[in-house]
Amino acid sequence: MPVLFWRKIMKDDLLIKSAVCYCSDGDKLQDFGLQGIEINKQLMPANIRRRASLTTKMAISVATEACLQAEVNPSELASVFASVGGEIQVTDVLCRTLADPQAMVSPTQFHNSVHNTTAGYWGILHGCQHATTAIAAVDDTFAMALLEVWTQLQQQPGDCLLVCYDEYWPEYLAPPIGELAFATALVLSNEEKSYAKGAIFRPQIAPEYSDFSNDLNGLIELSPIASAIPLLQAIQHSPPLALIPLNRDQPQWSTWFKKIT
Amino acid sequence: MDITVRPVPVTAYSVISCCGLGSHALYQALLSKKTGLSDLTLLDVPFDTLVGEISADLPEIQQSLSEYDSRNARVALAALNYQEDGLLAAIESARERYGSDRIGVVIGTSTSGLYETESAYQVFLEQGQMPDDFHFLFRHAYQATPRFLQKQLQLQGPCFAISTACSSGAKAIAAGQRLINHDVCDAVLVGGADTLCRLTLCGFASLELVSPEFCRPMDQNRNGINIGEAAALLLLEKSASQFDNSPHVLSVGESSDAYHMSSPDPDGKGAIAAMNNALQLADIQPSDIDYLNLHATATQINDSVEAKAVYEVFNDAVLCSGSKGITGHTLGAAGAVEAIVCLLALEHQMVPGTYGLEQLDQDFHCQVVKEPRTAKTLHAVMSNSFGFGGNNASVILAKNYER
Repeated sequence: MPVLFWRKIMKDDLLIKSAVCYCSDGDKLQDFGLQGIEINKQLMPANIRRRASLTTKMAISVATEACLQAEVNPSELASVFASVGGEIQVTDVLCRTLADPQAMVSPTQFHNSVHNTTAGYWGILHGCQHATTAIAAVDDTFAMALLEVWTQLQQQPGDCLLVCYDEYWPEYLAPPIGELAFATALVLSNEEKSYAKGAIFRPQIAPEYSDFSNDLNGLIELSPIASAIPLLQAIQHSPPLALIPLNRDQPQWSTWFKKIT
Repeated sequence: MDITVRPVPVTAYSVISCCGLGSHALYQALLSKKTGLSDLTLLDVPFDTLVGEISADLPEIQQSLSEYDSRNARVALAALNYQEDGLLAAIESARERYGSDRIGVVIGTSTSGLYETESAYQVFLEQGQMPDDFHFLFRHAYQATPRFLQKQLQLQGPCFAISTACSSGAKAIAAGQRLINHDVCDAVLVGGADTLCRLTLCGFASLELVSPEFCRPMDQNRNGINIGEAAALLLLEKSASQFDNSPHVLSVGESSDAYHMSSPDPDGKGAIAAMNNALQLADIQPSDIDYLNLHATATQINDSVEAKAVYEVFNDAVLCSGSKGITGHTLGAAGAVEAIVCLLALEHQMVPGTYGLEQLDQDFHCQVVKEPRTAKTLHAVMSNSFGFGGNNASVILAKNYER
């Protein structure tokens, strides 16, 4: 590897303080050597929990666990939330209701249908006034979310929470997407050097295309957020250095994972 | 810690709204204080309101990209192709200079192609299946419009949607500036696109926030919003001396209320934080801001919280106005539309007025401008956007770049 390349990427690295995932089918995660967490509904007060979707519950669950493992205070970091369909079940109910031209909708369901619903509740739950955003990019959602975190941390050094998620989708929207609910959360940092599980470099368009395994492609068909699995595996196995593909589209985005020694 | 950002030039921009196609149409509406609000004809809702509906002819989507065909995509394409604004030519020039993989597309939207999805659901509920031309990912999904623009322009850089309700368009500008500042991209097409649909009309009505009359931003008797639709696109490029005379994005401040999903923090803490963050990132003082385009939706609570927050940051020293009485509240596009209002103010050295404002709320202590006026001193201006979830963004733009 050319020395110049190393110098360039070393300056830009992000430390991974924690990585957590959830999958509605835990066996599928085990096929990839990963262990998911359970959804913890008690993280939300009853008034929010009662109306919160599975989307919100699983995203809040992985995000909270990621902060806990990283030993960071949820109120003290910026966050990037990313999902292909977002509050898809809430939107589905609203679209069914609105098929009747005379119908009106529930105000709570309406404000709970926005893409940044989970981001909003995250701030409310933790009193976090830092910037938060909600993005979407089909198969590239995880890659673009990681890139957004990377640029945010270049601008404002510290910690940043990344949360990616998609719950079950109605089967008539974009089958087979949504047959699986999947969520992952990572705390990334470019400040403190301790407790890191590894480092990644700036996401970039891959120098060469790397095929995802058939098994992984199968999972991504059901939930595009599963594109995070190669990075989650690297964090678990800590190879000295590995090129990690972040999406299956062309152009393909990738990042280098480096073990912290 | 003092963190600042580097300004990026806006080398071209265009907009389509109820005021018409192109930035000149919006400028004329601002200058002559002519509202584009009118009766709703696009769809039926069970209540009275006025809307900012686009009446300009919309272009057809080319055959090879027909899967992306939606009102949202057509509205965005109309702005992209409007020749007098030169946006398409500027993007093509950028593509030649930088390469297609160095140009990103980041577009804010709140409902993307939901207008088509609502019709598809009617078919679905009657016939048991979605219509043949229904394509969820390419029409309904948030990412549909940025994807369409990326393919239309044959670009290969980063491409994503930002959907943080009514701050989406402003947040897209922030993301674009970061992509350029940190050398991921040499240029980014940013902006917002949102079109009328029953969900937002009925949803805001269910929250009792929709006005049956012309909205009255900052007025003593304001009684709710008029929803509008628009696409506003801006080409950001990396700084270069040849662009020094172009307007620049100085910074975008971002914050969260951490208070309520659909109601702002009554103390305005989030709004204050967004404005202060923008000033800090741009490394300028409140007194450096010559004009502030308010979010000013014309709901009771939003306007009073914003007035309080603006007074906290600027005292009564800055000229403010709200443009939603002219364009309607274009939701996910609003942050980008109002960035263009600011660019027009800078270009023409004009302080826009506030259509719909008759009697300023007596509790407001900021200088809200009623009638458009000429100014000779607009250098740096700010635009506020606040959305559901307590998601706030304040954009600062400057007339040029002084090295």
